[in-house]
Amino acid sequence: MSIKQISVFLENQAGHVGRVTHVLERNGISIRGFQLADTADYGIARLVVDLPEAAEAALSEAGFLVRSSELLCIELPDTPGALGTVLTSVGAADINIEYAYSLVSTYVAFKVADIAVAEQQLVGQPIRLVSQEEIARVVGGGR
Amino acid sequence: MTAQAHPILNPQFECASREEINAAQFKLLQEQVAWTYERVPFYRERFDALGLKPGDIKAREDVNKIPFTEKNALRDTYPYGLFAVPLDQVVRLHASSGTTGKPIVVGYTKQDIEEWRYCIMAMAQMAGVVPGDRAQMAFGYGMFTGGFGLHYGLEGLGCMMIPAAAGNTERHIMMIEDYGTTVLIATPSYALHICEVGEKLGYDWSKSSLRVGLFGGEPCPPKLKSEIESRMHIICTDNYGLTEVMGPGVSGECLVSRDQQHIMEDRFYWEVVDPDTLEPLPEGSVGELILTPLKKQAIPLLRYRTRDLTRVITEPCGCGRTTARMDKVRHRSDDMLIIRGTNVYPSQIEDVLAGIPGASAYYRLVVETVDGLDRLQLSLEVEPQVFTDSLAEMEGFRRLVAEKLKGALQVGVTVKLVEPASIERVMGKTKHVEDLRG
Repeated sequence: MSIKQISVFLENQAGHVGRVTHVLERNGISIRGFQLADTADYGIARLVVDLPEAAEAALSEAGFLVRSSELLCIELPDTPGALGTVLTSVGAADINIEYAYSLVSTYVAFKVADIAVAEQQLVGQPIRLVSQEEIARVVGGGR
Repeated sequence: MTAQAHPILNPQFECASREEINAAQFKLLQEQVAWTYERVPFYRERFDALGLKPGDIKAREDVNKIPFTEKNALRDTYPYGLFAVPLDQVVRLHASSGTTGKPIVVGYTKQDIEEWRYCIMAMAQMAGVVPGDRAQMAFGYGMFTGGFGLHYGLEGLGCMMIPAAAGNTERHIMMIEDYGTTVLIATPSYALHICEVGEKLGYDWSKSSLRVGLFGGEPCPPKLKSEIESRMHIICTDNYGLTEVMGPGVSGECLVSRDQQHIMEDRFYWEVVDPDTLEPLPEGSVGELILTPLKKQAIPLLRYRTRDLTRVITEPCGCGRTTARMDKVRHRSDDMLIIRGTNVYPSQIEDVLAGIPGASAYYRLVVETVDGLDRLQLSLEVEPQVFTDSLAEMEGFRRLVAEKLKGALQVGVTVKLVEPASIERVMGKTKHVEDLRG
C-alpha cells in the first residue's frame, strides 16, 4: 500500500512556493502534508495531496517541473514513543529511510527504496497502513 | 540528400574548378577596388596616403597592401559618409541594431538589391528550399537586414512568402497549419519557442507541413539545432551574413556539409587573418574572417574586419559545390571574455553543455567582480529528464556541470539551477552573457 507524492522543482526565491500553492488552490486541491528540501539556490517541494493526478497535471500545465513517486504512509497511535518504535523496527531491518515527514493528524510518510519490504517489517506494529483513498478522504476533505 | 534532389542555383560558378573561381573572383575584386577608389573619398585618401593605386592590385598577394576597414569607419562616417553613389540611386536603407551609440547604416542600389536576392536564392537552395515552398517569416521586418533580405530572396526563388513577422506565436502556429507552411525563417531561439508553444497547445509537429528551418540572427548552438530538428521534425539550416557587407546570404549551409557554410564567392572575397597581427593565415587555420563584397555599389567596403573567428576550406563538397566552406562562426573576437587572465568564449560553454546528457541549451552567464576577483555564474534551466526527487542527485548534476565547465574553460564557474522557461526568450537575439564588471 502506498500514497502518491508530488515533487516540484523550485528556485529559492520569495513567492515561489506560493505560486505552487496558488495553482493547487485554484484547482480545488487540498494539501495533506508537505516538506521543503532546499539548497542555497533551489529546492524541492514535496507534497501529499488529495488528488495527486490532478495536482501533477495542473502544476505541469503551469510550467513547473513535476515528478511523482510513491511513499509508504502509516497512521501512528497518538501516544508517546509510537514513532520511535516504528523507526527502531524499520532500522533493525537495515531499511534506509531517505526522508520522512508528518502529514495531517498522526500520519507519517516515508520515502524508502522498497515499500513492500518496509511494510513487511511493520507487521504487528500498533500502526495502520494508509492508502491514497484514505488520504483523499481524511480530515475535513468531505469529497 | 543528393545534389540531384536539390538543384544548385548557379552550377556554372558554384561547381567550377578552384582556378576558375579564383580567376573570376579576382577579376571582380579588381573592378570593385577601382569602383571604390574612384567614388569614396575615405578610401581614396587612404590609398593615396600609401601611394597605392587600384592598378597596383595585380595578383592575390597584392590584396595585402589594401588597408583593412574597421567597424568604426562606418560609425565615424554615419550616416552616408562611405556611400559611393548619389543618394537618389539608393533604393533602400538598412541599419544594424546599434546597442551603443549610433547604428550602422547601409544603403543598396537597385543592382545591390538584385545581387542580394541572388545570394539568398543560392543560400536557400543549399538548404533544400525549392520554388513552390511556402515560406513563413518570423523575423521582424524593419531596419534589420534579415526580414526584407530573406523575404525578397525567397520570393525571387519562387516561394510563396508569408510575411507573418515576429511575435504572436499562436498566430504563427495557426498560419503554419492553415497555410501549409513548409519553410520557417526565424532565430533558433524563437523557433524553439514556437515549437514549445505548439507542443503546449497539443499541436503535432510530426504531422506538420513544415520541412525546413532557415535560421539566422544569432548563432545556433549545435545542440539547440538538433533539439529543434527532432522536436519539430524539420531540417534546420544556418546561414551567415552581416549588415555591413550586405546582410544574410554571405554563406549558407548545404545538406551535406552540415555545420559548414558555402561562401558566395562570386559576391564576396574572403580572407582569414590572425586577429592580432592581421597577417594572412594558411588555408584551414582558424582566424578572423575578412570580407570584401565584390559587387556592392552603394556602400563598398574593402577588407572588412568581421571580428568573426572561423576556418575556411576550399575542398569540393559532397553536395557538388566547389565554393569554399567556412565553419559556422562559434567565436567572435568581440565576444571573448577575459576572466582572471584566461580567454573564455560563450561557445565553449555551449560545447560543454551539449556534451552533458539532460543539460539544457538555455543558460545565462553573469560575470562580476566579487572582492576584486572575476566571478562567473552560470544559470542553467533544469530539463525534465534531469529533475528527480532527490536533492543529492540534483546536486550531483550541478557539480558535474561545474566540473566539466572548469575542465573546459580552466576557470571556476558557479552553477545555479533555475526553473524551466525562466531564462528570457526573445524574438530577436538571445543574450547569453552579461558582463557586470565595472
